[in-house]
Amino acid sequence: MKTNNTDVVAEYLREVDQRLAGLPVLQRRELLADLAAHIATERDERNLASEGEVIEVLERLGTPEAIAAAAHEEAGTRPRRPETFYPPQQPAGFYPPSAPPVPPARARSANWTLIALLAGGAIVVLFVLCGFLALAGGRDSAPEPAEMNAPPPPTPSATAESRDVPAPTVTG
Amino acid sequence: MGDVSQLATGLRRGTLEFCVLAMVEYEDRYGNEIVRRLGDEPNLAAGEGTIYPLLSRLRRSGWLESKWVESPSGPPRRYYGLTMAGRSALEHFRTEWVSFRQTVDRLVGTGEAA
Repeated sequence: MKTNNTDVVAEYLREVDQRLAGLPVLQRRELLADLAAHIATERDERNLASEGEVIEVLERLGTPEAIAAAAHEEAGTRPRRPETFYPPQQPAGFYPPSAPPVPPARARSANWTLIALLAGGAIVVLFVLCGFLALAGGRDSAPEPAEMNAPPPPTPSATAESRDVPAPTVTG
Repeated sequence: MGDVSQLATGLRRGTLEFCVLAMVEYEDRYGNEIVRRLGDEPNLAAGEGTIYPLLSRLRRSGWLESKWVESPSGPPRRYYGLTMAGRSALEHFRTEWVSFRQTVDRLVGTGEAA
């Protein structure tokens, strides 16, 4: 009976440990020691004898997967082997934990950077165009006052002429 | 299904640790006590065992301190207590949380006035 219980516990701890690959050694040992102490204390305080009661304690602790996932999240490490190939400086909580396939995520982010670059380029081109237009507009509008200033000599004469012209018609 | 669990995970992230700090604010407690208490709240912890990595991080970041204490009967217990840094972190969270909660309540329409 007692050996059965220890078997169940040992198996449970082994399954947790297997999923902690990639975690710093000291944190890995610490977590296993904490879990072992937790189980031992529960057993002692609640006088657990049967295997069923011990299994209940393990169920309350959670699945080895859930515990390992929490450990990796807190440590900022990646839970699985393939994911350790990627640079560790990538923040752990960046992608949702339920999205383990990192390559697609990276591919997606590469696409996004491409799109961002293109969009940025387009914006730069727009700005340059706007600049040219503004300059061109500035040139167009700048000469206009000059023309407005320049014409006055002819316009008075024109108005004089127009005054001269209608005057006879009115009188005529 | 994924959305529901992700919402819970997202809400838990950043708040659960302050629930842990608050648990040891006035007296040191050992792992089983902390973990059992939080494990009783279904929307707070995914399983008692997931709290231990959190305790480890809080200790490494200097908000908690821990010591193993021999128990009169049974295995040694690891007691956790709040450090000065942990205490001020908890105080800071309390002010932030109140205004954060009010803002969300106002915008989402979950406040009492709404």
